Amino acid sequence: MGQQLLNAIFIGSIYALFAVGYTLVFGILDILNLAHSAVFMLGAAVTYSLVVNHGQSFLVACAVGIAVTAAMGLVIEHVCLRPLRRRRAPPIAALISTIGLALIIVAAIEQGRPDTIFKSLWVDGANSVSFPAGVVPNPTWYVAGLTLEASKVAIIPISIFLMLVLGYVLRYTQVGRGLRAVAENPRAAQLMGLDVDRMISLTLIISSALGGLAGILFGVALGDISPYIGRDNVEVRGLAVIVLGGMGSIPGAVIGGYLLGMVEVLALVVLGSSARGGVAFAALFLMLALRPQGLFGAKLRERI
Amino acid sequence: MKVVRVVSCLVAAILIAACGSGGGSSAKVIKLGAILSITGAGGVYGPQSRDGMMLAVKQINAAGGVNGVQISLTVKDDASDKAQATQLTQTLIQQEQDLALLGPTLSNSALGAHPLAETLKTPILAVSTTGIHIVPDCNFPASSTACKYVFRDSLGEETAIPDNIQSYAADQHPKTGVLLVAQDDKFSSDGGAIVQTTVGKYGITLLKTIKFNKAEADLAPYVTQAVQLHPDVIFITSLGGIPAKIMTEARKQNWKGQFLGGNGFNTATVSTQAGAAGTGARSGSAWYLGNNFPSNADFVAAYKAEYNKNPDQFAAQGYTAIKILADSVSRANLTFSDLAGDRDKLRTAMESVNIQTPLGPFQFTASHDVKQTVWVIAMDGNGGFTLVHEIPAS
Repeated sequence: MGQQLLNAIFIGSIYALFAVGYTLVFGILDILNLAHSAVFMLGAAVTYSLVVNHGQSFLVACAVGIAVTAAMGLVIEHVCLRPLRRRRAPPIAALISTIGLALIIVAAIEQGRPDTIFKSLWVDGANSVSFPAGVVPNPTWYVAGLTLEASKVAIIPISIFLMLVLGYVLRYTQVGRGLRAVAENPRAAQLMGLDVDRMISLTLIISSALGGLAGILFGVALGDISPYIGRDNVEVRGLAVIVLGGMGSIPGAVIGGYLLGMVEVLALVVLGSSARGGVAFAALFLMLALRPQGLFGAKLRERI
Repeated sequence: MKVVRVVSCLVAAILIAACGSGGGSSAKVIKLGAILSITGAGGVYGPQSRDGMMLAVKQINAAGGVNGVQISLTVKDDASDKAQATQLTQTLIQQEQDLALLGPTLSNSALGAHPLAETLKTPILAVSTTGIHIVPDCNFPASSTACKYVFRDSLGEETAIPDNIQSYAADQHPKTGVLLVAQDDKFSSDGGAIVQTTVGKYGITLLKTIKFNKAEADLAPYVTQAVQLHPDVIFITSLGGIPAKIMTEARKQNWKGQFLGGNGFNTATVSTQAGAAGTGARSGSAWYLGNNFPSNADFVAAYKAEYNKNPDQFAAQGYTAIKILADSVSRANLTFSDLAGDRDKLRTAMESVNIQTPLGPFQFTASHDVKQTVWVIAMDGNGGFTLVHEIPAS
């Protein structure tokens, strides 16, 4: 059971990190950024390519991977969100445009083969790859019958540290106050002299960088990088996590992430292996039916 | 005006003549279509099948074709998707008017493609589908009548998995096992069912069957569950990157037992992905790289010269498929004018094929299945395989 608990905490950390970025955008813009799972995948794919195909060190590759996903946040804002906001399009339009961008990103990576224009980005097409052994230092410890892998153990402090930093920035800094003001009422924030567009761009950059980092950690720890890792593993689960935690609530996303990790593993142990897949949906459904505002979404007035 | 009219008449005449001669020569081409998974989960296998086929076509055409007629092969990617495979089958048979088809890569896709080819009376030769009921009853469970137009040159898991388990049981006498199986894929669940019915015969108790979904990336909890039962053997009957991931995770969790699997192990890609964790993992294979009988040695040398890498089982089966079709065409006495009649003649000729291939001497059984030696191979930890046992066709 100890090992299973660890499994739950590892995957829960990734769910949480992914969902924090997801919920940040929702908290500020009231929009579900469905390109977030593609950004997650992009982070892992770019980092992998830099290490394996371009001979970069892992740390450099990580830095570039995060920078690329942060830049992708800007693309999401400028291509999918801002033009629609200018036209006062309903939120559903932004939902659709981000789905579109997600499909384009996934398709671009999927087309990456040695003989296509995407080759510098990715050369493995639809295949699943993993970092060659030794690229990422990954000592494994055996403590009290438990297997502790460095790449997985590291996820926990990294995730918690970043989520604390984000919480601090939002609560106690000038930028954080600006972001919260935009979340509260964009029009009033603008009238108070805040550059709302800039704040929104910043939100997307932070959110996407977190998503990209979650993707990199996922790729390293689980040894699975393919164009579909976002879609298959975190897209719907991320949604379940932010509904569990309360839409737009960052502490909610963190708790929700770990909760989903636990519930999934518990389902596997108690109900049997085939039950695990459906648990995210069952949790999402139950929460929507019993407590639609989620664990931490009691007062929608103060978000993020 | 007169000049214009004369010139246009001339142009028309030339065009008609060109069409006539073009039509004449295009009628004399052996048109084959392959439906393969170049991308998606089957993308680990499909490209090798394609490369093997392309090599065979190139060799045959360079040597003057089949009875002087060139082969033209079109390869289509079904993206590992059953619906796309079925759609492509229809296109290749009805629009492209291909003489015969090859594929699809995955058993799951064959459930759609094969019954359609049967209905449209077009021979289809599977090159990598190893699930249950691919041949002879391709329409299973809708009907158990034998399909007349469906063949395969890929060794079925119903033969390969039991042979593998039997030979390991004879070597090491394992007592317990756990089966890890992707429940949402025909190939994987068929393999799982075969393991379940086989282990008891060799005194192995199956402690648990652990099911998961093939798209699941985090397999650690399933592997933990398996490892905690301390089995002698972990059976893996899944495809794509899954076997390598299970092996890597189980070794990390300090499990020291034996991995036994199926056709999903049999490509260098999977052996490479598994690396050291896969060392010794055994499977029954239709082909072995190191076999030095001439039909294999020549194939391996030609493949290396063409693609600058070693072939794998899927390349060998793709290559063999083209050789089977070429041999059948050479004996079928085709008219090249009556497509339906030619497809029937080809089908009949295929039933009596008997040639030397990289897989060894090749014949079809009465139910259009493979009759060949099973090579039990083990991953060598470096992306390759070593031969453990040779089990002749029974």
